[in-house]
Amino acid sequence: MVDVTWGGARVSAQDATERAKALHKLRLGDVIFHAITRSAALLVLLLLGGVMVALFVGSLPALTTFGFDFVTTQSWNPVTEKFGALAPIYGTLITSLIAMVIAVPFGLLIAMFLTELCPMWLRRPIGIAIELLAGIPSIIYGIWGLFVLAPFLQQYVQPALIATFGNVPVLSSLFAGPPYGIGVLTASLILAIMVLPFVTSISRDVFDAVPPVLKEAAYGLGCSTWEVMRYVVLPYTRVGVIGGVMLGLGRALGETMAVTFVIGNAHKISSSLLAPGTTISATIANEFTEAVGDLYTSSLIALGLILFVITFIVLAIARYMLLRIEKRVG
Amino acid sequence: MSIATAIPTAVAGHPPVDPSSLRDKVAIRNLEFYYGQSKALKGITLPLYENKVTAFIGPSGCGKSTLLRVLNRMYDLYPNQHAEGQVQFDGMNLVDPGVDLNLLRARIGMVFQKPTPFPMSIYENIAFGIRLYEKLSKRDLDQRVEQSLRRAALWDEVKDKLNANGLSLSGGQQQRLCIARTVAVRPEVILFDEPCSALDPISTAKIEELIDELKEDYTIVIVTHNMQQAARVSDYTAFMYLGELIEFGPTDKIFTSPTDRRTQDYITGRFG
Repeated sequence: MVDVTWGGARVSAQDATERAKALHKLRLGDVIFHAITRSAALLVLLLLGGVMVALFVGSLPALTTFGFDFVTTQSWNPVTEKFGALAPIYGTLITSLIAMVIAVPFGLLIAMFLTELCPMWLRRPIGIAIELLAGIPSIIYGIWGLFVLAPFLQQYVQPALIATFGNVPVLSSLFAGPPYGIGVLTASLILAIMVLPFVTSISRDVFDAVPPVLKEAAYGLGCSTWEVMRYVVLPYTRVGVIGGVMLGLGRALGETMAVTFVIGNAHKISSSLLAPGTTISATIANEFTEAVGDLYTSSLIALGLILFVITFIVLAIARYMLLRIEKRVG
Repeated sequence: MSIATAIPTAVAGHPPVDPSSLRDKVAIRNLEFYYGQSKALKGITLPLYENKVTAFIGPSGCGKSTLLRVLNRMYDLYPNQHAEGQVQFDGMNLVDPGVDLNLLRARIGMVFQKPTPFPMSIYENIAFGIRLYEKLSKRDLDQRVEQSLRRAALWDEVKDKLNANGLSLSGGQQQRLCIARTVAVRPEVILFDEPCSALDPISTAKIEELIDELKEDYTIVIVTHNMQQAARVSDYTAFMYLGELIEFGPTDKIFTSPTDRRTQDYITGRFG
């Protein structure tokens, strides 16, 4: 035995240099790996910064020419080269707002149904359907909106709205004018459908994360399902739900194609929801190819910068909210 | 299987119980319970006496928590679970499909293993349950909240911070808040599902003391893994094993002279 040990020791002494060589190779591989991963990660930051800088530089001519008036005036006249972004900003915010007003209650109700009331066999089909809804390309929503939803609204829904609210003081101005079919309301509806899956699936996930014993405790007091959801589950998951809503809002704000199809692309602010309007992204998509003159192009880029800032703020809030609930669920 | 209906053994400190003074608050007869196809409770027959503390003991998986969850129909929240047999309570069979669950759960309250304060203020935690059933004026509501918190021996600790979040309390305080919340809706029976398993010894002692006080007004059932606790707080003890009720009787008797060998093995720590 002693021989073997000594022999082994001798051999390993010979091996030592080879091992060191192999280790060195590995270490070198590790260094390269580190460098690659780090640079890939840094590239993202660089890209983000680059986009910001490019937008800022591109919009400088418009911003210096119009100053603060750019965001407070409505006129958008390529001929006289007077550009104001108020109409698209208004359109972006109002369509997103209406979309959220419609989508959030629906999304919450669906999520509540899926987590509490839905029989097991129906859970998966509905869940998958909602995820598929999120996967439909926006151009298809646009086509569907233009050829199916808009005519339908024009023929049936909008005349009814006009007739119903025509004599009600405030609402009559909201639903005034001829039923075009396309317009702010139609765009909002399309956006609501597109945002619905985000709100639903995130709400469902956070509802699922509620400890069962907390719900049992509420049921144990004699609460109905509605009372448990309203007074215990919703307050408990509030932060996460808000995060989901914000993510949906982020999508609604930046959505381009579907909205461009159905909003009517009119640079004016109308009190009526039935009238055509425009959004930031729709304006850019429509006009970039025909933008002649530096100021025109620069104004469009400035619009992009504004949208970037708005969505950045919304998404930052969403991330922050979701982070907080993750910490709590632990 | 025989049910020892109050055959008191006179042990020092516990006066013999007069059997005629005992009233069945809940009478369980031939209760069977199923998780899907598997049977978790087999022919349980057991009385729960009014204003007494009954403890369910037994090794994990013996069905004691399951039995507790039958009593307020908590199993109804989950598909594929059902009970057969009779649980008589105030002239109705609890496991009948027609029973109004919300009302039942108000009459048979439950305190859980882990403290479960709702995500709202201490005051609201109590007031919430009361508002489900009664429309009270602000003054009456305040009074009832105070009453409930006093009943749960928590008032002095929280009276200055009623608007603080319930989650800001310590574990033991949270559990007493849950007891106060349960008491506030004026139940007749209170079910405790291992109420002290997440608590430190001092909080545990407080809760046990509280249970002793509460039995003056309520019928109490407690599931516990801690045999000393069962011996300390309960008047009657049911020993369960593998879904069957092995032995039921006055706690003194179960712990000093059990009739079944398995009961003896369990309480002396030979298995479980």
